[in-house]
Amino acid sequence: MASTSRPIYLNLFKIKLPISGIISIFHRLTGVLMFLAIPVSLYLLQLSVESISSYESVVSLMLYPLSRFFILLVTWSFVHHFLTGIRFLLIDIDLFLDKESVRRSAWAVVFVEFVLMVVIVVGVFL
Amino acid sequence: MSMVALEGLRPWLLQRLTALYLLFYTAYVVVYWSFFNVISYKSWQQWVAADLNQIMLGLFYLAVLIHAWVGVRDVLLDYIKPFMLRLLLLFAVAIFLIGSGFWLIKILMMVNA
Repeated sequence: MASTSRPIYLNLFKIKLPISGIISIFHRLTGVLMFLAIPVSLYLLQLSVESISSYESVVSLMLYPLSRFFILLVTWSFVHHFLTGIRFLLIDIDLFLDKESVRRSAWAVVFVEFVLMVVIVVGVFL
Repeated sequence: MSMVALEGLRPWLLQRLTALYLLFYTAYVVVYWSFFNVISYKSWQQWVAADLNQIMLGLFYLAVLIHAWVGVRDVLLDYIKPFMLRLLLLFAVAIFLIGSGFWLIKILMMVNA
């Protein structure tokens, strides 16, 4: 009984989340986003191998501004999920456990993510 | 370790093992695509149809589906408290993922035909 009456205060708008918490929430968010993108990926895969004309239709579909927006969104989701995921795996093997390393590794993820996104956008996307 | 303590270990481990394969597959694809040109129908189709790539793609989606199941299940268990709603959503997610798996099998069979 006592445990249920404990005050629980989880108003996300009032909690000042540290950087490690922010990237962690985005790990979830990007995960759910990519989960929703699974059938889209299958649909595009199917069209891309079915015939030359359906392949061409995928290529032309990808030129629409709206599709380019979604490609960028999913690409970013992947990059973020990938990098934060590696950080979680390293934490699993007991790296970055003290307070300062937790913060530093989180910022390192943000930095690498930014660089990778610039490379992808400039190198591949534009 | 008691059985109760082990209950959370299996999904935890599955999540990590599939993550490792996804990392490996991503590295494979990125390296391969940077060295070999797959941006024409013929080369792309041949790449997908190659035996090794079909197996690796099959394993990739298997890993994605398992990884997504554990992840989305965790999210639902965290945020959806009413039991019936939680059950219903978990069921919907399972159907969604299993259906995706069958779809991939169909695509791979089409590639082989």
